[in-house]
Amino acid sequence: MSESQAFDVLVVGGGATGAGVLRDLSRRGLRSLLVERGDFGTGTTGRYHGLLHSGGRYAMKDSNAARECIAENRVLRRIAPASIEDTGGYFVATPDDPDDYVEQFPAACAKAGIECEEIPVAQGLRREPALNPKIRRVFRLPDGSVEPWNLIDANLADARAHGSEAWSYHRVVAFEKAGERIVAATVRDERSGATTKISVRFVVSAAGAWAGQIAALAGVQLEMRPGKGVMLIYNQRMTDTVVNRCHKSSDGDIMVPVHTVAILGTTDVRVADPDVYEVSLEEVAALIAEGEKLFPGLGKMRLLRTYAGVRPLYQPPADVQASDNRSVSRAHTIVDHGDRDGVDNYVSIVGGKLTTFRLMAEDTVNAVCAKLGVTEPCTTADAILPGQVPGKTYWLGHRLAEHEAEGGGDAALICECEFVTRPMLNAFLDEHWPCSIDDVRRGTRLGMGPCQGGYCTFRAAGLVAERGARAQSHPAADAPVVTEQADEAIVSYLRERFKGTRPIAAGRQLQELWMVLGMYHGPLGVESLIDRAPASQATKEVLDAQR
Amino acid sequence: MPSVDVVVVGAGLSGLAAALAAADSGARVQVLAKGHAGTHWGSGGLDIAGPSAEALPGTFTSRDGLKSLAAVPGHPYALLSGDVERALDWIRSILAGQGLAYQGDLDTPLQMAPTSIGGTRPVAILPIAQSAAARPWASGERLVVCGIAGFKDFWPDAIATSLSRPRVWAGVRGPDRVDAVTVELPGLSARRNLSALELARRFDDKAWRAVAVDRIASALEAAGVKAGSGRVALPAILGLDDHAAVFDEFRRRLPLEAFELPLVSPSVPGIRLYNALRTSLIRAGGRVRIGEVVDHVDRKGGRVTAVATEAAARTSTVRTGALILATGGIAGGGIVADNSGHLEEMVLGLDVEAPEVSKWLSPDAFDPAGHPLEAAGIRTGRDLRPLDSSGKPVFENVKVVGSMLAGQRYLRERCRDGVAIASGWRAGRVLTAVAATPGGRESGSVKR
Repeated sequence: MSESQAFDVLVVGGGATGAGVLRDLSRRGLRSLLVERGDFGTGTTGRYHGLLHSGGRYAMKDSNAARECIAENRVLRRIAPASIEDTGGYFVATPDDPDDYVEQFPAACAKAGIECEEIPVAQGLRREPALNPKIRRVFRLPDGSVEPWNLIDANLADARAHGSEAWSYHRVVAFEKAGERIVAATVRDERSGATTKISVRFVVSAAGAWAGQIAALAGVQLEMRPGKGVMLIYNQRMTDTVVNRCHKSSDGDIMVPVHTVAILGTTDVRVADPDVYEVSLEEVAALIAEGEKLFPGLGKMRLLRTYAGVRPLYQPPADVQASDNRSVSRAHTIVDHGDRDGVDNYVSIVGGKLTTFRLMAEDTVNAVCAKLGVTEPCTTADAILPGQVPGKTYWLGHRLAEHEAEGGGDAALICECEFVTRPMLNAFLDEHWPCSIDDVRRGTRLGMGPCQGGYCTFRAAGLVAERGARAQSHPAADAPVVTEQADEAIVSYLRERFKGTRPIAAGRQLQELWMVLGMYHGPLGVESLIDRAPASQATKEVLDAQR
Repeated sequence: MPSVDVVVVGAGLSGLAAALAAADSGARVQVLAKGHAGTHWGSGGLDIAGPSAEALPGTFTSRDGLKSLAAVPGHPYALLSGDVERALDWIRSILAGQGLAYQGDLDTPLQMAPTSIGGTRPVAILPIAQSAAARPWASGERLVVCGIAGFKDFWPDAIATSLSRPRVWAGVRGPDRVDAVTVELPGLSARRNLSALELARRFDDKAWRAVAVDRIASALEAAGVKAGSGRVALPAILGLDDHAAVFDEFRRRLPLEAFELPLVSPSVPGIRLYNALRTSLIRAGGRVRIGEVVDHVDRKGGRVTAVATEAAARTSTVRTGALILATGGIAGGGIVADNSGHLEEMVLGLDVEAPEVSKWLSPDAFDPAGHPLEAAGIRTGRDLRPLDSSGKPVFENVKVVGSMLAGQRYLRERCRDGVAIASGWRAGRVLTAVAATPGGRESGSVKR
């Protein structure tokens, strides 16, 4: 144990919920620490389809959830416009969707307070010509899309401005209890291996699908039901509007335009371990077949990759359900481990969805404050997040526009697909050092386009090495230290990207993969780097198991 | 409706070799290609066969590799290995005639040459501008990696750091030390998005080049690089059309022996190779049209009679006595996979031999054993005519060449160029013979 620090509250989990909890705690005067085992937003938050719910999806079956969604949708547009693209949403009735559902849909939206306007089919098709021309009805709702990493960053920035801290790549490895309270936690720096003891007054687990694992560390049983959702990323936005099937929610019935791509979602399969799951060829084929009903010809459009996330689903036991009316909906649940398990200063926030993360945080922090005797009210719904221009939502063309505003001409492009320039990368590295190329990807979208890192990964690694070399030759300068060898970074990053390409390797994307592999095995001699940096034993075991 | 003796679909190394071989023997040849091919993302070197996993570097030759691949059941070299040396000599003489000489041969031991991401790769037959990389490193030799400020495809610090570590040299001796130098070239500071092609074209300009080479020489001097034992690695941008003169100037002006490191695509050494072959083909009377996508192929009684390509408002048709399919396999778009795991050969709808879809790709992108799907392709007989799944030839006058051939795994085997040259050479020569037989000719007459 090298170090010891004290905070009011320890928040475990650096997804949107944890970031929202940290922000809310900080604004109520509780100096808190958030720890995340990886980079922020690498769990479920960074692995969903990016939908900002209008609530329409829940209007028919869960009015309460629908009401929460539309209320938070409005809040987020106000406090975090930079993270939101105001795409609007369509709920369309295809010939496969049952009439009774479609008939009742507008009234259900009205009941939940969601603006739902039926528009002529021709008008919908004019705006989104790739839509199935056989759709029978179109309803317009205020759906949107959310950039999750930017949203987390803004929440953490606000928390830090209010005195709290957030540590990425730090894992909770143990809790220390005294009687019915957790008095301290041991957290380990996943990069250096160093551990720190954190003395706390309260612990909030916002670990989502992993909340059961954290609970086990506190000697408490919490059974999560992680639900895998598979998504497919298309190379183009065949729609600029979020498109939902107007039917009872099922697989492959939503397309969300996010940044330069469009994401088809999703499935729902229970998995045992939130860290171990695969996307199968069958799941991909089934999603595409359903997606064809919304966008005919989808099977011929270019897929970039696939990924999956795990929903933090939780089925409360019957007795808890009775005492907590929120849990009757498929919304979120605050599990108070005091009443339930005899650990007084520990709650888990489970269930829920990204759209309502702020409300989840508010409810959680209300519970914490009640226990700690803090009476400060919640202000997170009113205070605009840092780095926002009120009312100015995300616009796809912003990078090009900013470049043009600075004089235009050719840009020092490192990643052509996503318009990431050398100055943008340098600025990111200045702010986030030390970090991996994968962190750079989440921060800048480097490598998220068609070549999946084939052209930009070694460039980013080269830029990092250049900074390292400069630091060595000017030791006085406040410059970073190279922590990741450029060549090893190239191999591990391309390996990681390949995982998402593998289940969808067909058509143009398979051709692209073959070309990139051809370059790396041919003129670039990638084998010589791999043989030197063999996969870690753990990775090897996973690979062997998958064979 | 023009008519020719041979239509070659595809303008990569195999297609151009086939077209040249056919034109050499007097056939009228038309190359139709959708776009540029493997030359443009290759190294510009000629890879015949890589070392086997157990091979000791520095002793294993391309001939050894060729022999072991020829023994792999179903490998294209099982059909072609006897032609590789002759075909290689033949194409090298054509390239030399265009001022693009190569060094090394089948009996040159493979050496580890540095790469532009700081790795190494086994090489033997290289264009002159890269050949210094293939010489073993002697005690006391240094390597200076010299980059160009603002150029995004060559990062000297990263390359030098990686090449400084002995393990990257795969058991052979590397340079004693590796240093990085970055040079500002004249008139480029306002250019923020420099490409390899743009730089290569600048070097073709004699006046600019004089100043640029001067700058590079001074930068090396400023970095303490003196004449002596060592070599300088530069990005492969040393001229395009006037490459020989550019490289000569580098050789004369730099304190250490210079060589080029090939980069990601577009590959300047690969474009030089392409240009040299294309020019030779046109001189031999062949015609090349790029930007042509085959719309359909006419056939009659087991023979292809015409190839139609997409044109503005209709199709454009070329009648032909024979067809050579050089469409580059999966990487070239000659074979396309759909989402259900079906592989389609795009020109004739030939049967594609492939592993079952669940086994296409290894879980690891860089699996040492490669990906089973690499071996997918068209199965042919000795005469390179495509066979159907029952093993019968499908067309009398069609030949399949290069990366379209089933059974090779060129990513790991490093046999892509050897297969391309040998199959192209054989197909071009043999087809001409077929087209020239009286029964095998349906249109026009063959010259000579």
